[in-house]
Amino acid sequence: MVSGRALETATALLTGTFGAAVVISSLDNGIGWSAAGVDAGTFPFIVGLIILSGSVFNLVQGWLQARDIVLRPSELKRLGILFIPAAIYVGLIPLIGMYLASAGYVFGALAWHKRGSFIFSAVAGIGTAVALYLIFELTFQVSLPRGALGDVLGF
Amino acid sequence: MVIGVLLGILVGVLPGLGAPNGVSLLLPLTFGMQPVSAIILLSSMYWGALFGGSVTSILFNIPGEPSSVATTFDGYPMARDGRPTTALATAFGSAAFGALAGVVLITLSASWVAKVALAFGPPEYFAVYFLAFASFVGMGGSPPIKTLVSLAIGFALAAVGIDTVSGSVRLTMGIDELVKGISFVVAVMGLFGIGELLIAVEDELQVKAISSKVEWREVFRTVAHLPRYGWVLLRSAAIGCWMGITPGGPTAASFMSYGIAKRLSSRRANFGKGEPEGIIAPETADHAAGTSALLPMLSLGIPGSATAAVMMGGLMIWGLNPGPMLFIEQKDFVWGLIASMYLGNVVAVILVLLTVPIFAALMRVPFFIIAPLIVIICAVGAYSVSNSYLDVVLMMGFGLLGYLFKKLHYPLAPLVLATVIGDKAEDAFRQSMLMSKGSLGIFFSNTLVTTLVLLGAALLVLPVIWQTLGKMAARSPARQ
Repeated sequence: MVSGRALETATALLTGTFGAAVVISSLDNGIGWSAAGVDAGTFPFIVGLIILSGSVFNLVQGWLQARDIVLRPSELKRLGILFIPAAIYVGLIPLIGMYLASAGYVFGALAWHKRGSFIFSAVAGIGTAVALYLIFELTFQVSLPRGALGDVLGF
Repeated sequence: MVIGVLLGILVGVLPGLGAPNGVSLLLPLTFGMQPVSAIILLSSMYWGALFGGSVTSILFNIPGEPSSVATTFDGYPMARDGRPTTALATAFGSAAFGALAGVVLITLSASWVAKVALAFGPPEYFAVYFLAFASFVGMGGSPPIKTLVSLAIGFALAAVGIDTVSGSVRLTMGIDELVKGISFVVAVMGLFGIGELLIAVEDELQVKAISSKVEWREVFRTVAHLPRYGWVLLRSAAIGCWMGITPGGPTAASFMSYGIAKRLSSRRANFGKGEPEGIIAPETADHAAGTSALLPMLSLGIPGSATAAVMMGGLMIWGLNPGPMLFIEQKDFVWGLIASMYLGNVVAVILVLLTVPIFAALMRVPFFIIAPLIVIICAVGAYSVSNSYLDVVLMMGFGLLGYLFKKLHYPLAPLVLATVIGDKAEDAFRQSMLMSKGSLGIFFSNTLVTTLVLLGAALLVLPVIWQTLGKMAARSPARQ
């Protein structure tokens, strides 16, 4: 169970951290006025300050106002079922390449939900990889990553 | 063009894929094309997506696009009562009218606006940018501070990489791959694609399909009856055009139009139960806003909506510089695009009517099959922007951010807008500073620039004033 307060707080902390990082990082580029005009860091510095102060405001607001529950356990579970495999999929791309990862992802998603047969899932997975190859590699000549495995196999 | 429209309808129909996302997915594929055919493909897709979003709103009560949420209020009840054809025809008829109003507006005023804008120097440009951003904060309808944070994050993302003025590297946080900057395409795919997917998966999608057979005679009869609602049509088109030019966007336009129609209608009690006016008002405004959002993009280089922002990014990648000079240097391109808008909308209406049954069938494909496909499409799309794996990881990160932002009512459009034109706004600011040797007085040096800046400032503080007034009004009856 996740409350609105927790979600608001987490988001505000996230944006606030980003803002702080922008402020600190832009100090390296110099802020203010020099012979060449406005220094490169000035604009990001101001922007970072806006993000930081806005986040603090949102943090306080969210803490004070959002009390009801925004995510029930069942919803959280469905989110996880979608996001975790997707994250694993992206994590696997550098290892086994985009084609294998995509095929495995589709196969896994279908097999997990137990709709259709094992063979259907496998065909759908391979079909996805083939479609990607036909559309990107052949038609638009965009080379998709093959991953470390591809390097080993020389594909 | 037909391909573009069909793809657009597909994108519009599928929940979790929206127009900004669809257009950015197609972008990397258009790099090899002629700019004219590329923009026609993209804009056709845009029309298709706008129409496709209404189809699912009416037939399934699931808006395919955020901007067609308001259409569900009356469209779905009408379809449920056994009049799906009437509902669809009403929606498309009024949508076509709205789009037409937008295109006519562009045709008549684009070159005039461009001519005025030719006299602009950096301070004027910065003032116009300022006005655009301020109107987001003031009129976007989301909590102003959240809008501000979203906007500022967009600016910060735009600043990542090599600074165009000084050549120094900024905000890379020590990651060398970030020197090339963060592409707005990557941000859009994550924010809208993955983000919306996560929102969609949250409530179990239960598709209750209504018969989606289209009876042609009913279509013609409904369209023939539309002029009876002339006043609603005109008013909604005007709202849409206004919200499109000022970056309020189609979503705000459709809600506003629906709200006003409800308040002013003599059949107020019927709203929410399948009242035709309740379909006409949001649909007309939605499409008028979607179309007229291209006017400031073409003539000033300031996009009026998230999708227009993505398209403008595309123009810049193709080597075209949106703004007044486009009307002089690339006359063929501009007028070719405008001509294609007329045609594209007609094609979209016909195609969407023909394909309603097919796409309605597509909605019955279970979500757990569509979801991984969308993830894969977004991952491949993000990768193909610049053949970088880091972009794919960033895209997933943006996906989480998009989910959080959607969930907590942070608006996403300002973020996209700022990532696309953030650099230009910054350059305009720094050039003005160079002209004035560091004095802010340059933003008050002539009438035009002063008016723009003051207008922007007014829009910025307006929400604060409204809020305080609202609080005071709420407090005073309590005291009595």
